[in-house]
Amino acid sequence: MNDVVQFESVGLRYGMGPEVLQDVTFALDSGSFHFLVGASGAGKSSLLRLMYLAQRPTRGYISLFGRDVSTTPRDDLPALRRKIGVVFQEFRLLAHMSAFDNVALPLRVANVRESEIKRHVEELLVWVGLKDHMKARPSTLSGGQQQRVAIARAVIARPKLLLADEPTGNVDDHIAQRLMHLFDELNKLGTSIVIATHNEAMVRRSGRKVLKLAGGELRVLDNVADDDSDEFASVFAGDRGRILL
Amino acid sequence: MKFRFAGPELPFARDDTTRFLPWLMAFMVFLAALSVAGFFVLGDAARAIDRGIENTVTIQLPAGDNVKADEDRIAGALTMLRAMPGVASAEALNREKIVQLLEPWLGAAARSTEIPLPWVIDVRVDRANAPKAEAIAALLQPYIPGVMVDDHGVWLQALLRAVRSSEWIAIIVVLLNGLAAAATVVFVTRAGMGLHRETIEVMHFVGAHDTYIARQFALRASLLGLKGSVIGVVLAAPALMLLVLLMGNLGFGLLPEIRLGVGTWISIAGLVPVAAAIALVTAHTTVLKSLGRMI
Ligand SMILES: Nc1ncnc2c1ncn2[C@@H]1O[C@H](COP(=O)(O)OP(=O)(O)OP(=O)(O)O)[C@@H](O)[C@H]1O
Ligand SMILES: [Mg+2]
Repeated sequence: MNDVVQFESVGLRYGMGPEVLQDVTFALDSGSFHFLVGASGAGKSSLLRLMYLAQRPTRGYISLFGRDVSTTPRDDLPALRRKIGVVFQEFRLLAHMSAFDNVALPLRVANVRESEIKRHVEELLVWVGLKDHMKARPSTLSGGQQQRVAIARAVIARPKLLLADEPTGNVDDHIAQRLMHLFDELNKLGTSIVIATHNEAMVRRSGRKVLKLAGGELRVLDNVADDDSDEFASVFAGDRGRILL
Repeated sequence: MKFRFAGPELPFARDDTTRFLPWLMAFMVFLAALSVAGFFVLGDAARAIDRGIENTVTIQLPAGDNVKADEDRIAGALTMLRAMPGVASAEALNREKIVQLLEPWLGAAARSTEIPLPWVIDVRVDRANAPKAEAIAALLQPYIPGVMVDDHGVWLQALLRAVRSSEWIAIIVVLLNGLAAAATVVFVTRAGMGLHRETIEVMHFVGAHDTYIARQFALRASLLGLKGSVIGVVLAAPALMLLVLLMGNLGFGLLPEIRLGVGTWISIAGLVPVAAAIALVTAHTTVLKSLGRMI
């Protein structure tokens, strides 16, 4: 079994609320690349949270790298999480740490040697254009710069699965393309990638596969063109308004 | 390589919760140090009382009208006592000594010739086959009517019981202090975890083991515990020396001289690593337990 992620009839509800996700079934191959789309509130972040073990499903079966998540002992979870890089929608950078230390975090908790950490982190921060901001605290960085720190932290440990929640939402087109290029490179090295986004142009341009969430259900589309109806466009319709705001 | 003792991930330096831990620790270690010293002093006292119970018998002879006749009777009594099996020595206390013993109670009256002070014989007996007080009384009674033999048994036993239970109280106070210290560390650690929840979550997401996080809390707590217990011991030492000085001036006749031996000081110093260890272990288990409830 080569599946990096496998969901079977997964359902999720928060508290007594309605099911945000219903009967979600899909599998991601290693080396795959998907965009995750859906209107605001459709459950994109929730689906990603299930994949990076921040949330347990209310029903259904989830396996990561061939392991049933519900029966994986707690002691084995860090090993799973180290194979998963996450770019959070709200970044979740640690405010008391420099950009450098934030990016170094995944290596430090894995007890990588400090000399090696320095080399890798500096290289990556230069690559994402933050050469001059390594010592800066997140609060002194712009939204786009913070986002790049978050992305650097997600990819620093060469994850097998990269989950990004709107990673290009706060950057200009030039940097967005640069970041997409970074994801492409990572993907070529074998990392499976799922990017939740409202950026219609980016999805269309890439021609990548699409996971589409609507009404709590998930559909896998080979590419945007496959979308019958005008449904796909309508997925973004609500968001154009949001972006303008 | 950068020195990362408590780890840079958790920003403890900004915690107000951990600021008061050293002072609570200092207070508890201070109390524990007093209890430890009390335990040792009481132990000395108990041993001295124990020795007294087994070794000494006091004999009172009523004073007659004629001092010379009294002295003859005492000499006779001493001869009889020394011949008795189980008696190691028998000595009459001289008049001056008796007056000294009674002066604290009687004041100047002790020196007055108006009050007929009894004569006192101090008998030391063999631990192994000590004669009973009744046997001594039976021996002397025919020659010296009104003789009183007291082996201090009843009230020394009572005193010994009191001292022994005080020893237990000292031990219990030390143990309770340990529990209170642990409870404080649990509270402070939980508060710290709440404060650093975001950091802990992110550390989890990037693959930190629970023990990696727990270690940082544990090291932090033990450093604070170390600091606090050193303060506690440093404050306890002069306080104890002052107490010993004050108690020494009281001059209890029965109890041995109160002194704090090397063993006592070593035990008090031992509170420092013990407190640090309590903080370390408690913080570590507290964090592991709480993290176990997170996803
Ligand atoms: N912690 C939570 N507790 C309760 N309800 C939640 C929680 N998180 C999300 N929800 C609800 O679940 C639904 C899906 O939210 P989610 O954040 O997954 O949407 P999304 O697709 O990521 O939206 P957006 O594009 O705006 O980021 C929403 O209705 C939201 O209100
Ligand atoms: Mg979202």
